[in-house]
Amino acid sequence: MNDVFQSLDPRINRLGVTVEGHLEAKSSLDQFETYEVFFQMKEGKPYEHAGIVHAPNEDMAFLFGKEQFSRRYTCTGMWIVKTHQVITSPITDHEQSAYDLLDHRLAETELNELSHFEVFHLKKRGRQQVHMGRVQAKGYHDAFKQASEHFGTEPALQVWVIRSQDLLFSDEADKDIWFTLPEKKYRDAIAYKSSDKINAYKERTAKQ
Amino acid sequence: MKELAIKELLYKMADDLLILGHRNSEWTGIGPILEEDIAFSSMAQDKVGQSWALYKMLQVLGEQEPDTVAFTRNAPQFHSCKFVELPIGEYDFSLVRHFLFDTADLLRFDLLSRSSYTPLAQLATKIKGELKYHTMHANTWIKQLGSVEDEEAFQRMQYALDVALPFALGIFEEGPYEQSLADEKIFAGEVHLKSLWLEKIQETLSKTRLVLGDVSLISPELGGRYGQHTEFLQPLLDEMTEVFKVDPTAEW
Repeated sequence: MNDVFQSLDPRINRLGVTVEGHLEAKSSLDQFETYEVFFQMKEGKPYEHAGIVHAPNEDMAFLFGKEQFSRRYTCTGMWIVKTHQVITSPITDHEQSAYDLLDHRLAETELNELSHFEVFHLKKRGRQQVHMGRVQAKGYHDAFKQASEHFGTEPALQVWVIRSQDLLFSDEADKDIWFTLPEKKYRDAIAYKSSDKINAYKERTAKQ
Repeated sequence: MKELAIKELLYKMADDLLILGHRNSEWTGIGPILEEDIAFSSMAQDKVGQSWALYKMLQVLGEQEPDTVAFTRNAPQFHSCKFVELPIGEYDFSLVRHFLFDTADLLRFDLLSRSSYTPLAQLATKIKGELKYHTMHANTWIKQLGSVEDEEAFQRMQYALDVALPFALGIFEEGPYEQSLADEKIFAGEVHLKSLWLEKIQETLSKTRLVLGDVSLISPELGGRYGQHTEFLQPLLDEMTEVFKVDPTAEW
């Protein structure tokens, strides 16, 4: 049995996919590593976590992130970082701040050179992590301690800290890659007003 | 004369973008990985959008509306180069074509951003960033796959480049109004564009193990600009217009 799979889609027929009759073991997944993507929707707005892409390196992750997460609406900038370079606090429920679950005494044990860290908060369940700002610290524990001092009064169901030098920041000069985005209404389901058209069709056919 | 020259320029650019946009959209749903599938599909959509803007410009000059022009002509009435109508092949070929065509397209629109024909200059300025992303995407892939240790991947890229080159040179087939376009400072011309293009693709390829053949020894695949196409264009048009022909008055 080696029949060519027949589809209504001419592209699929051109692939000449054969339907084979034998059994085979499920193969293991072969995936690229993951990168976290953050974007800024408008000038002056904080960066927000947009999602994750698989990619072989950060340049490719940038290419992919741009079309996965900023192919609609507006965008003015993008940051990329390897998933394992995001250090996360425990996650809390409701009223408690994630900072209260951390032992800030551990900060005293860190003796590295001062470096910059970007701090993100999950302010509400079901929302994305939002960039709060940058702190200088001697290590991750210290960064969480500094973040607590700077942003501790803001809601924080979970805190993320990323070493600034681990992030790939989009180039200021490349902002124009998003320039025509607001015009691409055809990527927005709402622009087709399909429910209006379906309702109009239903009304039309009901009268007949 | 001047208007004829502008129309000829707009038609070949619009047809290139429509046909390649349609070709590249054939990868939607069957791309190599999800992320690339989405990125490549988005860029295909950009190309169709750019062709629409050019057809719209033609409409202002008295041609029929974009849908009519795009969906009711047959192959001999298309001014696109043969390069864009070739089947998508394997992903190596589609990537190499994307790199060779989009590099030329970015340079073409860059020249046109200084065109004396204002609508074209305005469009070129507006879509500059879109084209920048397209070439950023192409160059990153070419550098990635053109420098890999894996011999099969490298050989496939080199082979795709060798196959694509004569067709890519066909992008620069000269039209009947080159002189008049240059005199009127509308467009500097295909010969000039080709030299800029060669320099640019060499620059990217020099960062890889890929080698560009000796262009002076290759005869370009010409004829597309004058309506002579390969056997691949008409089936593409039949497929592209299939839904339109069911109901040409349908609103989308």
